[in-house]
Amino acid sequence: MRIATTQYQSTMNQSLQNNQERITHLTQQMAANKRILVPSDDPIDSVRLARLAREEATVQQYRDNIASIKIRLTKTEGYLSNMSEELIQGRDLLVWASDGSNAPDDLKAMVSPLESLRDSVLYNANSIDQEGNYNFAGTLTKTAPIAYNAGAPLGSRYTYVGNTNSQNVVVGNGITQPANQNLQGIEKLLNHLDQALNTLKTPGATANDPAVRSVLSSALGGFDDALNLLSSKVANLGGSQNIMKTLDANHANVSLSNKMAITDIGTLDMGEAATSLNGYSTALQATYKAYSRIGTMSLFSVL
Amino acid sequence: MAIINNALSGALAAQVALTASSQNIANLQTKGYTRQAALLTAIGPDANPRSSGNGVQVSALLRFSDGYKSQAMWRAASDLGAYSQTQPYLNQLENVMGDETASLSAGIDQFFGALNAVAGDPGSTPLRQQVLTSAGLMSERFNGLNNVFNSQLQSVRNQRSAIVDSANAQIASIAKLNQQISEAQAGGLSASAMIDARDQAIDDLASKMGLEVSDNADGTRDVSLKTGQALVLGSMHGTLKAVPTATSPQEFSLSFAGTTYVLDANKMGGQLGGLTKYETEKLVPLQKGIADVAQQIASKINTQLALGSKPDGSAGTPLFVYTPGSNADMLKVTNGFVADDLAFSADGTPGDTGNLQKLVAIKSQPITVTSIGNVLLSDADAQLVGKLGVDSQLNKAALKTSQTVRTQSVDDWQSTSGVNQDEEAVNLVEYQNMYQANMKVIAVANQLFDATLAMMG
Repeated sequence: MRIATTQYQSTMNQSLQNNQERITHLTQQMAANKRILVPSDDPIDSVRLARLAREEATVQQYRDNIASIKIRLTKTEGYLSNMSEELIQGRDLLVWASDGSNAPDDLKAMVSPLESLRDSVLYNANSIDQEGNYNFAGTLTKTAPIAYNAGAPLGSRYTYVGNTNSQNVVVGNGITQPANQNLQGIEKLLNHLDQALNTLKTPGATANDPAVRSVLSSALGGFDDALNLLSSKVANLGGSQNIMKTLDANHANVSLSNKMAITDIGTLDMGEAATSLNGYSTALQATYKAYSRIGTMSLFSVL
Repeated sequence: MAIINNALSGALAAQVALTASSQNIANLQTKGYTRQAALLTAIGPDANPRSSGNGVQVSALLRFSDGYKSQAMWRAASDLGAYSQTQPYLNQLENVMGDETASLSAGIDQFFGALNAVAGDPGSTPLRQQVLTSAGLMSERFNGLNNVFNSQLQSVRNQRSAIVDSANAQIASIAKLNQQISEAQAGGLSASAMIDARDQAIDDLASKMGLEVSDNADGTRDVSLKTGQALVLGSMHGTLKAVPTATSPQEFSLSFAGTTYVLDANKMGGQLGGLTKYETEKLVPLQKGIADVAQQIASKINTQLALGSKPDGSAGTPLFVYTPGSNADMLKVTNGFVADDLAFSADGTPGDTGNLQKLVAIKSQPITVTSIGNVLLSDADAQLVGKLGVDSQLNKAALKTSQTVRTQSVDDWQSTSGVNQDEEAVNLVEYQNMYQANMKVIAVANQLFDATLAMMG
């Protein structure tokens, strides 16, 4: 085939262009340590990477939710354990009050610690968070869960006006965990305490009086019920904490395997890239040499 | 005397051949130059039976050209034009939509992540505020992408207008050159330079639109669109127009000899056809797809919010405002919407998260998106970007192929019409020899004449 002189130039230009383009692409890949710079480099794998990133975002959200739930559960557990400890002290006090050898003055002396216990239980049950939401009202978070009505007959002045609904948080695919608590039942203890205090405050009240004893003993029953209520809630919270921990570990494993897949698919094989880079730069150098030789070849130079 | 005449004709012919070579060497780097050579023919003898002949003449200046190779080159220019103009647009979209951190997917993830985070503490104002912030950011991503689409549409249209303007100049110059060529050839003059200029203009025009070129006996070439409408007939030519009309943002038409035809730009080939196909087959459907996602996110979230209650127990109100029509504010957060307007409660109690769960679940609900069909909301963007990647990859491959074909066809054309300097060096030496030999013949004839004169003396 006849070759025109300019064809050398265009072949040379083409070769330089091709090699330089490949070298630029490889250098960009190496700088970013990414095999896929734009989706068209590998559309299939770039969709896989995008999906892995979506799944990773979801798993990370589950883990964030678990972390925030754990903080709430721990806080709730703290409130409930504190209440339990206070109740044990109050119960001891009542057991002592029921002792027939106590003088009326001794009984009077117990009124003030029991009153502060009653107030403390009420305070805890109606506790609020930093934003003014009630901790133990179920989902009626804007309502104080224990209401006090001074006009009601003694023994029914405290009522629970929250609900027992859960605030469910998604912690896994199809798995939810209640993040809140309610204290329905604690109002009974408060009513019993109210009655017991009223009885103890009556002048001349004595533990030998059967009527007094009956009030004290039902108050004791109220303490036992409340302690059961609290300890079962604390036990549940502990169980939930463990479940959260296991679930979080599962999510961590899924997340790790996602990240490994992302690395496998998306990371550049540096060795292969370096070898290719070497190949292209050798080809480029050879083209330079060829041009310098062919460029000087001309019949005119020997005429 | 015949000797001197023959030698003179040889010397003159050698001069013409040397001139042709010198023209070739001078145009060694000229784009589109077709090499020439003197066609030498022997002049036959006269009536004298002992006459060997009357020397040599340059019967024509040869143009080394092959019509088929020119045609192949022009077709390759059209294909290359179609794919080369689209690629920069595809590259831009890929970079904008494929970026991990700036993608729509990441924005959607963040919005649903913010919703999810509220579930852990539905009363928390900062967490609710975060939902509003991320809703705003997600909207901005939709709008930002929409702006990219809009500016691409604008730029595609501007580019086509510019192409039409320069195509009209080329069409006019082809017709004018046609006329000059036919006049020159009728007068027996060399039209080679004009033919080169005209073919160069056809080559430029071919990269803008697909052409059919046919040759006429008078040396002119007729040029028409692939779809049959004539652009140039001999020395007459038509004019292309691209203007907005009531039915189209940019309508293409061709006026020829008082008649106007509307053209389907999708079928024009070359840069015009490539850009139009990109607009109608890639850009507009993609923009529609993104608008579909925005519209359905807005409608699903708003519908679900309306089913829930705000913390104060009142019914939920829309969070998003979706405005159809692909404007810059396609998706927006409702003016004056505050954190306490988010209706997360299903049963009206302020701490309930029933409706919030349903809002979060919208992420994995199916939506219908133009050009990809039914997909999960969370997967829609990934699939649209995947489709864009495939489109871009195909275009890159086609571009590479058409580049190779074009290079090959230019090389083919060059192998016939291009100048080879070594060949010209040989020609220079040989015709110089021929010239000198003829001069020698004149000298010999002169000596013979002198000898004859001396004898007479």
